[in-house]
Amino acid sequence: MQKEPTTLSYDAIVIGGGIAGGEAALNLANNGYKVVLVESRLSVGGKMIMLSKVFPTLDCSACITTPKVSEISRHPNIKIFTESDITSIDKLSEHSFVVKMTQRPRYVVAEDCTACQLCEQACPVIVKDQFQYGLVGRKAVYIPFSIASPKVAAIDIDNCTLCGACEKVCPPGCIDFTMKPKEYIFNVKTAIVATGFRLYDPTNVPRYSYGTAKNVITSIQMERLLAPTRPFHTILRSSDGKVPDKIAYVLCAGSRDDSLGNPICSQICCMYSIKQAQLLLGALPMADITIYYIDIRAFGKGYDEFYEQAASMGVRFVKGKIGKITEKENGNLTLRYEDIATGKLKEAEHDMVVLSVGVKPNKEAAGIFKSHKLELDGLSFVKQSDPLLSPAKTSIEGVFVAGAATGPKDIPDSILSAGAASTEAISYLNQKSQ
Amino acid sequence: MKKKLGVYICACGGNISDYVDIERVREAVKDEDCIIMAKTTMFACGDSNQKDMEADIKENNLSGIVVASCSPKLHLTTFRGVSERAGLNKYNYVHANIREQASWAHSDNKPGATEKAIHLVRAAIAKARLAESLEPIVIESKRAVAVIGAGVAGLKAAISLARMNDDVYLIEREGTIGGKLNVLETISPENISGKELLGRLQREVASEERITLITNAEVVASRGNIGDFKLTVRISGPQGNTEKEIHAGSVLVATGFNSYAPAEGEFGFATVPNVITLPEFRKLMSGQKKAAEGGSGKLLYNGREINSIAYIYCVGSRQVKGDNKYCSRYCCTAAVQASLDVRAIAPEIENFHFHKGIRTYGKQELIYKESNAQGDVYIQFMDKKPPVVSASEGGISVKAQDVLTEKRESEVIADLVVLVTGMVPDSDTSIGNLFKLPRGRDNFYNEIHMKLRPVETVIDGITIAGTCQGPKNVMESVNSSLSAAAKSHSFVSKGELELEPIIAYVNADTCNWCDACSNACPYNAVAMVETAGGQKASINKSTCKGCGMCLPVCPSDSIELISFTNRDVEDMIDVLAL
Repeated sequence: MQKEPTTLSYDAIVIGGGIAGGEAALNLANNGYKVVLVESRLSVGGKMIMLSKVFPTLDCSACITTPKVSEISRHPNIKIFTESDITSIDKLSEHSFVVKMTQRPRYVVAEDCTACQLCEQACPVIVKDQFQYGLVGRKAVYIPFSIASPKVAAIDIDNCTLCGACEKVCPPGCIDFTMKPKEYIFNVKTAIVATGFRLYDPTNVPRYSYGTAKNVITSIQMERLLAPTRPFHTILRSSDGKVPDKIAYVLCAGSRDDSLGNPICSQICCMYSIKQAQLLLGALPMADITIYYIDIRAFGKGYDEFYEQAASMGVRFVKGKIGKITEKENGNLTLRYEDIATGKLKEAEHDMVVLSVGVKPNKEAAGIFKSHKLELDGLSFVKQSDPLLSPAKTSIEGVFVAGAATGPKDIPDSILSAGAASTEAISYLNQKSQ
Repeated sequence: MKKKLGVYICACGGNISDYVDIERVREAVKDEDCIIMAKTTMFACGDSNQKDMEADIKENNLSGIVVASCSPKLHLTTFRGVSERAGLNKYNYVHANIREQASWAHSDNKPGATEKAIHLVRAAIAKARLAESLEPIVIESKRAVAVIGAGVAGLKAAISLARMNDDVYLIEREGTIGGKLNVLETISPENISGKELLGRLQREVASEERITLITNAEVVASRGNIGDFKLTVRISGPQGNTEKEIHAGSVLVATGFNSYAPAEGEFGFATVPNVITLPEFRKLMSGQKKAAEGGSGKLLYNGREINSIAYIYCVGSRQVKGDNKYCSRYCCTAAVQASLDVRAIAPEIENFHFHKGIRTYGKQELIYKESNAQGDVYIQFMDKKPPVVSASEGGISVKAQDVLTEKRESEVIADLVVLVTGMVPDSDTSIGNLFKLPRGRDNFYNEIHMKLRPVETVIDGITIAGTCQGPKNVMESVNSSLSAAAKSHSFVSKGELELEPIIAYVNADTCNWCDACSNACPYNAVAMVETAGGQKASINKSTCKGCGMCLPVCPSDSIELISFTNRDVEDMIDVLAL
C-alpha cells in the first residue's frame, strides 16, 4: 500500500465517463478549466460506445462516440481515471470540495501495454464477457472491448488462477501481480454527477423466462448482436446458432408497471426497439419482426417519422400486453398476450424474443457525498432542485448533474443536459473570480 | 522533395469491410508513387489506431497521410488532430470517403464498391502528393453574444452568458419579455405557473449588468461572420423607429414557436360552439381559484357551467393528411396536466381524452397515472379515423372508434371540446432568412448533428436554442438553451478564433474586374479594389468560406481555391477517370 494518497487539484470533477460525462468534461476543458474525469469501469464511453446504430439518423454509434472519447482522452485539460471508485466527497465551503478516490489495480502497467492481445491468447481461463453482455466468453486477462479507451489489458483477479501464462508471453513485460489499489485526494471547485443509469434486470419478472429460456434476450444483447464490433458475424441465437426469422419485441419490460417497482416510462425503449427492428430488416430481410407495445412513444425530432418508416418497412406493431413467455422444446418461444385491438387473449410463436428493458437509477452517486446530502427523487434518481429553470442543479450548491442520472434520457437529451451542466458549472466557477 | 505518404484504409468495424474488400484496396494502392506504407484498420478513429498513426508518422517521417474511411464531416478534425500531434501540418492529411460514397452507396454490388473505393483512394493520394502546409487564419472575436428572442430559452441563455462574463444583447420583438411563459398555467413537473417563473427570470435579468435588453426590436440586417457579427436592430418606439448597431462574436437564436391554429371546421373549430384550443383553455383556467382553496368549484364558459370536457389530441401534429407529420412532444403531458388542473378548479368535471396513444414519456408517466386514477376516460382513435365533432342537443357530440374496445364507436356529449394543438415553427421567418438558417423537414431550424453538434447551425457562430429547433417542454428548452450558451460562450470567450485557411484567392495579374465572382459569392466576401493595375477583385479572408462558387464563373480563370487548385482537381480527375 502506498503510504500517502496522491493529492491533486482541478477546477472540476466529472463523475462518470459516459457520453454525458464526456460531453460535460469537454465543454469545461475547451473553456480552459482543468477537469478530472472518474470512471468506475475499465473504459470510458459508457453505454453509448456499446450500441449498434442510433435513432433516428441511424449513424453508427461507435463512429460518433469514438471521436468524443478520443478527444477527452487526449485533451490537455482532462485527466481520466478508469477502474476507479470515489469513496467520499466533502464540501468544505463554496468552491472547495475534497474528493477521495481509489483506483483498483488492473495488474497491467497501462503505460506499457500495447494491446497486442498475446496475453489473451495465452490465458487458459474463460468466463462470460460482461462487455458483450454474456453473449460470448473472454479470458481472465483481457482487453475490455475492441474500441475501449484506454485500450489496455486488465486482469480479472477474481477469476485469475495466477498461472503466470500471460506474464511469460507479454512482450513489454507489463503484467504486474503485485499492483495495489492507489489512493488519491482531489481538491476541486465544482462537481458534475454523470453516473447514468442501470438497465432493468428482467430476471425480476419470472414470467418473461429470461435466464431460463435460452432465446429470450435483452435489448442490450441485441445491440451487441447488431453492432459493427459484434461478437458473431451475423444475428443468431447464441444457444444453437440458428438465424432467427421470427423475432418479437416486448416493450415496457420493467417499465410503466407498479408491480415491478417501476411506474415510469423509460423514454428510450420504444425508439431503440424500432431502430433495432429496422436494422434487423437490413441484416435479415426475410425475417418477421413484431413489436408488442402499450403505446408507441416516438416523441422527439424525427422520431414519429422514424416509427412510420419502420411500419412501412413491414415491422408489425401489435398493441398488446405480454402475459407469459414459455419455451418450447426446439427453443422457440410461445408468447401469451392480450391483443388490445380485439380484446382477446392470443398466443404467438417466435424463435427469438427481445425484452426491451427499461431504465433504472444508479443509486451509488448519493452515497459518496458525505458532508452534504445529495438528494434523490421519489424514484431514486438524482433530484433536480430547480428542474424548470436550472435543470442541472442539485440539492448541493456547486454540484451539478448531467444525463440519465436524473431520469431516463435519450442521447440527444443527455448531451443537451450535459451542456446545461457545464454552463452552470462555469457560471459557478466564475462567481469565485468575481 | 518527394512526398512520403502513408495510407490507412478503415473497416469501420464492418460498415465498410462488409461490402468493400479493404485488403484489395490496400493491395491496389500500396505501390502508388510516394506511398511508403499502406495499412488497414478496424476503426481508424479508435484511440489505439490514432496512437499507431502518430507513431507511424514520426517513425517514417511521413510528409502526408491519406485516411480512407467515413465522411470527413465526421472525422476531419479527428485526423487533423492526429497529424498535429505527430508534428505534421494538418493540411497534409487528405480524406477519402469510402463509406458513404462506396460501401453504403453500393451495398448491392461488392466488387463495384471495392473498385470505386480504390479509385477514391487513388484520387486522394493524387491530392496528397500536392498538399501543402497551411496556417489557420486568426481573427479577433468580440466578447459579446446577441440573443434573439426573450422567451424562457432566450432569457436563460442571456443570464447564463452574463454569468460566464460575456456581454449580452437580448433582443425581443415584443414590448414585453417572457414569450409563452406569459400564458402558461401549471408547468410540469413542478406546480408552478409561467408568470411565477417569469418573475424569477425578470429579476435575474435585471440584476445582470452585462445584459442589454432591447424590446420592440427587430434585427433587420446582418454583416460579418463568426467573431465579428454586426447586426442592425430596428427599435420601434412612440417617436417612431430608431436603428442601433450591435457588435457580437456569436448569435444565439431563440425565436420560439407558434401554437398550431386549427383551420375553420377542423374538429368543429370556429364552426361548432364551445370548441377551443389548448392555449385558450389554459387562458380560461388562469386566475380561477382551486376548489380546495375556496373557489366556487365550478368552471364557466360563456356564462354556462361546464360539466364535461372532451380533449382531442394531435391537432396539427402527426397529421395523416396535412404537412405536420411530426409529434409535437409536449402536448400529451400538457393536456393531461390541464385536465388535472381543471378538476382542481371544478372537481365534478368529467374528462374524456380522444388520443392516438398517450406519450407521457419518462417521469411524465406519473401525471398520466394520476389522471387515470382520478377516473378520466381515455379513448384511442385510429390514425385514419379521426374523431368527428358536431353540434348536438345538450352539447357537442364527439364520436370515434375506440381501439381499446374493439373499435366500437364511442360517442361523448361534452360541454366543451379542447383541441390539443401542437407546436409549429414561428410564422415570423425573418431571422431564419436573414442568417440563411437551414430548416429540417418539419420546418424547424436544423442543427448540424443531433448528437455531435445539437445546438450549432451550419452558419459558423450561430447557435439555436429552445423550440425554434423543434418542439420541447420548458425543461427541455432550458437544457438546450444552456447548451447553446456553452457553445456561443466558447466562440467568444478566448477573444480570438481560428478560421480555415482553405479560401479563394485572386491572381491580380490576370483579373480584369468583371463582377462575376462577386455576384456568385453567397457570403458577400468579394469586393472590388482600385489598384495601380486597375480594378481587381479582392477576397475578404474572414468572410470567405472556401465554397468555390466564384471559381467556375471567372472568365479569365483568375481565382483559385487554396488546396483545391486546378492542378489538384485535375490530378484527382485524371486518376478517377482511369
